[in-house]
Amino acid sequence: MMTIGEACRLPDFFSRVVSMDAERTPRLTLTVTPGGISRFLPLLGQGFTVKRPAGASVEEFLCRGCGIAPDYLRDRVQTVFLNGKAIDDLAAAVVSDGSTIALSAAMPGLAGAVLRKGGAYAAMHRQISHASPGESRASGPVRVSIKLFNLVASELGPGFLAQGVLIGGADLQDYFRRQDRGFWKIGRAADIDGRPVDFEKVPGIIPENGLVLLALRSADLQSG
Amino acid sequence: MDKILRINMGAAGGPQVKSEPIGSYAGLGGRGLTSTIIAKEVPPLCHPLGEDNKLVIAPGLLSGSAAAMSGRISVGCKSPLTGGIKEANAGGMASQMLGRLGIAAIVLEGKPKDGTLYKLSISKDKVDIKPDNSLKMLGNYAVTEKMKAAHGDKVSCISIGQAGEMKLAGASIAFTDMEFRPTRHAGRGGVGAVMGSKGVKVIVVDDTGCAVRSPKEPDKFKEANKSWVAGLRKHAVTGQGLPTYGTNVLTNVINEAGAYPTKNFMWGRFDGCSKISGETQAETENARGGEGSATHGCHRGCVIRCSGTYYDKDGHYLTKQPEYETVWAHGGNCGIDDLDAIAMMDRLDDDFGLDTIEMGAAIAVAMEAGVAKFGDAQAAINLVKEVGKGTPLGRILGSGAGLTGKVFGVERVPVVKNQAMPAYDPRGVQGIGVTYATTTQGADHTAGYAVTANILGVGGKVDALKPEGQVELSRNLQIATAAIDSTGMCLFIAFAILDQPETFQALLDLLGSFGGQKLTGDDVVGLGKSILKMEREFNTKAGFTKEMDRLPDYFKKEKLAPHNVTFKVTDSELDQVYNW
Repeated sequence: MMTIGEACRLPDFFSRVVSMDAERTPRLTLTVTPGGISRFLPLLGQGFTVKRPAGASVEEFLCRGCGIAPDYLRDRVQTVFLNGKAIDDLAAAVVSDGSTIALSAAMPGLAGAVLRKGGAYAAMHRQISHASPGESRASGPVRVSIKLFNLVASELGPGFLAQGVLIGGADLQDYFRRQDRGFWKIGRAADIDGRPVDFEKVPGIIPENGLVLLALRSADLQSG
Repeated sequence: MDKILRINMGAAGGPQVKSEPIGSYAGLGGRGLTSTIIAKEVPPLCHPLGEDNKLVIAPGLLSGSAAAMSGRISVGCKSPLTGGIKEANAGGMASQMLGRLGIAAIVLEGKPKDGTLYKLSISKDKVDIKPDNSLKMLGNYAVTEKMKAAHGDKVSCISIGQAGEMKLAGASIAFTDMEFRPTRHAGRGGVGAVMGSKGVKVIVVDDTGCAVRSPKEPDKFKEANKSWVAGLRKHAVTGQGLPTYGTNVLTNVINEAGAYPTKNFMWGRFDGCSKISGETQAETENARGGEGSATHGCHRGCVIRCSGTYYDKDGHYLTKQPEYETVWAHGGNCGIDDLDAIAMMDRLDDDFGLDTIEMGAAIAVAMEAGVAKFGDAQAAINLVKEVGKGTPLGRILGSGAGLTGKVFGVERVPVVKNQAMPAYDPRGVQGIGVTYATTTQGADHTAGYAVTANILGVGGKVDALKPEGQVELSRNLQIATAAIDSTGMCLFIAFAILDQPETFQALLDLLGSFGGQKLTGDDVVGLGKSILKMEREFNTKAGFTKEMDRLPDYFKKEKLAPHNVTFKVTDSELDQVYNW
């Protein structure tokens, strides 16, 4: 089994891009118990935004742009959607500004088999397959929404969350609103743009409009 | 398993029990046995709730043995929902216990002369059937509590709730799980109504003093079982995805594909899906804690453990972990994004004894008619409660989506052969639409679930771009599924045998060493074909025509957002599914 670090080595320029976004968006940093990080993983299924250089295939975008190991993408990620359409050839499909990419590990049942990239049942997803021929490659940076599902979220999610992910403020507020009382026990510290805030008061401080750069810290790493 | 237990509920002087040798049904189990008995013994034109229909409850071929994953149980009859042959299966403890008792099938026949309700008890030395009207109109949870008080919790129960007693076409049959809760259901097709028509409220199965079934070739069997378990544990789906998230892991993926039926099949994507996804559900269950929270088996001998236990916000047991289809039916299909409300409806369905798919589909149709608003979770809960109370509205809803659509004048009613479609829009995944349209069972995703194409040497050789490819794939999936349904094996094994030839070989070796004969993939295909042929012939004699192998018209006309697709497989292509 690949470790999180091996599966997702975020490139250096990710930090620069995050910094660029951070100039325009509030940066919310939460320090939580080590076990508490998993509570945020379902949030990644709704999607978060990243900004990367344009002109890339899905494979290049995910591996070179986002630092996902090629063998992880090949073996562990069994279903890839580009704009809601299942992709069989990741090297041919092109990412453009506003694209949404979703990644899933192997899924059960017939639907799981049907949506699998290049699988024996690929014929059954032809109505919702992504067609690649003739796609033009844009220039300049593009904003792409990424969704991480199931085991992929468990394995890549902590890395993305540690670096910081751009999430809609309204989505984040709604997420906090839905949590049980026990959720608030995982919080150890919080700050917005470097200003310490009470963890439980975070939902009231998040701007509803626009994006928030959410970064998570594990309390054990913090103390270490 | 060498005997069949027949209970004639209409015998003069009260129900009569007869145990007879399995005879010409030897070598059959699960769906293979239920469908063969129904096809041979039930007049296809009989009324499903009449004396000539039979209810057959049959463990799988390997049930009661030490084979992992072999605890599925099949229930067969002529369906009051579809009017055709029906097989619905479930997990729970009864299958293994019946197997150990040597019972290949329980057959309920005839019809009681009055409204007396009966309790049937089966143990090693005795089969006893007694009137017990104190059970009338009790929910499944109350019934099992009473049985626990009388028999302890080492037995298992097969029971019906209020819906079965009212003979509603959406009624299920409940099987108790490892915790003696009535959470595993043979849900589809109204099998609970047939049990209700026989006047049987509960069957108590006690295998005390019975040994595990012995294989003919013990060493080979032991070795095969070891490889079988190892294969299931090492696969990403059966070893990780399903145990971690349960079947609801599909929600996010199907939604992303734009094939998640939303608000009565109006759209292919639900905005609130991540709030009810398997990932969110597992996190919620783990955070709330409690025994068996997010990873739990539905029967002893399960190594996948895709189930779980759902506790409410205060830590009290509410229900088992709702399955993907249930979360969809009561969730996205009704515009509801509240997991606690969905879990409450799952609990009510289990208690009243209702098929969660049929019930959710019926409520969504009612919502389209304006009976309640899409997204109103409390209204949806109240509608389920109407069924438990037996009000006219509740009886309509409990009779299924088809009837509900007729009563309220709704055109968009997602049924085939009057059975509600499950959680995959056929416009988004057309091959599943082929299965919905053509299976002998009415719209049923599990009828074409066994993804075994490359192993069986079928299905993977078709041209991906031709429409008939969808037909051939669906056909071969239906054949493979019918065969697996006969073994007592859980269908979730399919992924491991799809990807790992050695795991498929282990399954063949398990079956072969148990019965003392060598099995091949061709044998499995042959079994599947013979079952489908029998079921198809029964349906034809019951009045089914090829025109019933169709999706509702609107699937060909209304484009499904976000991909704006319609169902493209033509009628003539659908008619080729059974040409082999």
